[in-house]
Amino acid sequence: MEFESVEDVQQKLAAANYISSREIATVVFLAVATGKPILVEGPAGSGKTELARALSRCLKRDKIRLQCYEGLDEAKALYEWEYAKQLLYTQMIKGKINDLLAATDSIAEAVERIAEQENAFFSERFLLARPLLQAISADHPVVLLIDEVDKSDPEFEAFLLELLSEFQVSIPELGIRKARHIPLVILTSNNYRDMSDALKRRCIHLYIDYPQRELEKRIVELKLPGIEKHLVEKLVAIINRIRELDLKKRPCISETLDWAQALMVLQADDLSPATVSETLNVICKYRADTHMVRAHMDRLFE
Amino acid sequence: MVNLVLKFAAACREARLRVSTAELIDCMGQLKLIDLLEESQFKAVLRGNFAKSRREQKTFDRLYHLFFHEMRQDLAFDPERSEPGGMAEDLNEMLEGLAEQSENTPVDQAIMDFLAGDPTSYLQEIQRVESQAEASGQGLKSNLGQLSSRLEILMRLNQVRKNIRALVKDSRETPEARGRQGIADHFNERLGTAQAMLSEDNRPYNEALKQVHTHDIHYPDLGEKPFASLTAREIQDMRETIEVLVRKLKDAATRRFIARSKGVLDVKQTIRQSARYQGVPLELKFKDRPLRKAKIVALCDVSGSVWSAARFMLNMIYSLQDCFSGVSSFAFVCAPTNITDIFDKNEVNQAIEKIMTQTDITFDALTDYGEVFYQFHRDYLHLLNKRTTLIIVGDGRSNYHHPRENLLEAMRARCRRVVWLNPEPEEFWNSGDSEMLTYMAYCHEARPCRNLNQLIDFIEDLMLV
Repeated sequence: MEFESVEDVQQKLAAANYISSREIATVVFLAVATGKPILVEGPAGSGKTELARALSRCLKRDKIRLQCYEGLDEAKALYEWEYAKQLLYTQMIKGKINDLLAATDSIAEAVERIAEQENAFFSERFLLARPLLQAISADHPVVLLIDEVDKSDPEFEAFLLELLSEFQVSIPELGIRKARHIPLVILTSNNYRDMSDALKRRCIHLYIDYPQRELEKRIVELKLPGIEKHLVEKLVAIINRIRELDLKKRPCISETLDWAQALMVLQADDLSPATVSETLNVICKYRADTHMVRAHMDRLFE
Repeated sequence: MVNLVLKFAAACREARLRVSTAELIDCMGQLKLIDLLEESQFKAVLRGNFAKSRREQKTFDRLYHLFFHEMRQDLAFDPERSEPGGMAEDLNEMLEGLAEQSENTPVDQAIMDFLAGDPTSYLQEIQRVESQAEASGQGLKSNLGQLSSRLEILMRLNQVRKNIRALVKDSRETPEARGRQGIADHFNERLGTAQAMLSEDNRPYNEALKQVHTHDIHYPDLGEKPFASLTAREIQDMRETIEVLVRKLKDAATRRFIARSKGVLDVKQTIRQSARYQGVPLELKFKDRPLRKAKIVALCDVSGSVWSAARFMLNMIYSLQDCFSGVSSFAFVCAPTNITDIFDKNEVNQAIEKIMTQTDITFDALTDYGEVFYQFHRDYLHLLNKRTTLIIVGDGRSNYHHPRENLLEAMRARCRRVVWLNPEPEEFWNSGDSEMLTYMAYCHEARPCRNLNQLIDFIEDLMLV
């Protein structure tokens, strides 16, 4: 077992630059211990993808990422035959094929001869492994990140189901491929649409919320060493008040980090309404949101 | 331990969480791996296995708090284990006393179970009340049935409270009186919880709801005017603008499709074609992706309260039907009427005229969203699948009828997205008889749509995502 306890997960993740809450650590611990996939939900920028990255760092496993989108199919996700290469090879070995067929008398016999060589053409050599097949056939266990699974089509979701429950895929020409090591699978979702019950059933669910104040402070200090303590204090307080406003897109931890970095670059050592107003574009991604924050500036500094 | 989790799972199921046996097994296996003494770990295990989406977490959190904090399972009485003279014996005695006085109805039984620390049957009662309207179907035209059932439970709760008081009074002289008073307080607290559960709303978390508050100014004057205050001349202008817009969007969508759908080389086809040119692949064939077969089901309120906007909404739905291949349209006041055919066969103005005059929509009836959802759910549910976007146009004003949001939830579970367009300004949502807030919890997207600019924004979003 790779982690000894929930505390161990928390420590190792922290060593890999990811501060986790108790809940995150528990779910990760269980997923690693039981070999179940994790389905992570949460607002954009709350560190869903980062969790997978941190896990690959602290487990010292390779990370294989599959970005989902509408129209993603098996050829892009699992495997594809490399036709161009196959054609090229047939052209190049034409002479050899002719030799092979020289001694044959009838067409039937010729076909028989060719059929004997079939394996040469449908072999590993011509197989283009896409992320899912890579993850399954890797020599060492890997972390497989299936990002934004809610963007994919229902058909693809159904196909994922087979993979996630059996950890095997069937390739008609080669037979069934079983996973050599069960990868640690992390699926992320922005809730664009609801996932099917069958998929949810196979995963442990985790919701990453906006971080608690203390946690957020620790994250900022970890990611940006050398930042002034009182600046972090103020920054996190203001971000939390901004989150209370009715915004189109509430700032997440990634925005907090961007903002803190921007302030460091600007060498601002204190936050005043003027500095906030000037750097607002880092936190707010919509014009209407910027207006809203400016209008409530006095409330932020209470 | 197993029993406790099983009991909790039963309670979760009563509150409509989907907890399968497989999940229970997973959960029990995982509980062995963690440190049970730390609550955050224990809760994380239960939460990760029982509530599998953010939407379900609200119900889960509520139940978890009820079950493991308010109910204080350590007090749960097990008659075999109770020591004589101990607190548990007192509790049992008191419960027996109460049970004698209660009537032998399911409600009373549920309350007694609740007092004894098992909320399952009480949750079941609440669930029964909430879904009452579903079962009784068409005849029921108000939410009074549901209200009176709630009242009945409330009265029984009060009765039990009285009984407790009487029991404590009887035993005032005896030495156990003080212990009894403590138990009575404990019971009263639980009754308070039970009462609160009856009236609390349990809308799911819906943070992923897309809400659109602003819009681009496509047309400065005409575009900003609410549909309600347009003159006849402007209505004509507006129609023409919409027509031009739809044509533009159609072009854009086609261009995008051509660019985006260019797939990879189709080797099979190319080789087959090459046979015509002695094996030289002159004609390349590509695997073009098929056009996304997006389906739209539109439900449009045409009642008096949205009268001024209804024509435009119908207009919009007409143009949608023009753009997309599989659109089904319905108009409703208190029952959905299928208007897909009328839209298919007529020119837009004629079609709207026909809907207003020749269909069997009862325009003078009171709007009843709950009933509309019920009938839609009963007759047209097969139209919804994972490719369907359900668009509901209306103000959500249901004349205080039972909103039946659970039907909307059921519909949501079947389709890809639920979008609600409201022709009222956002300030008025959920004022008076508007059930917008209730319904919003079950939508993927909610946006005001009361002028041309907002309408254009919406159509662009819909076409070009």
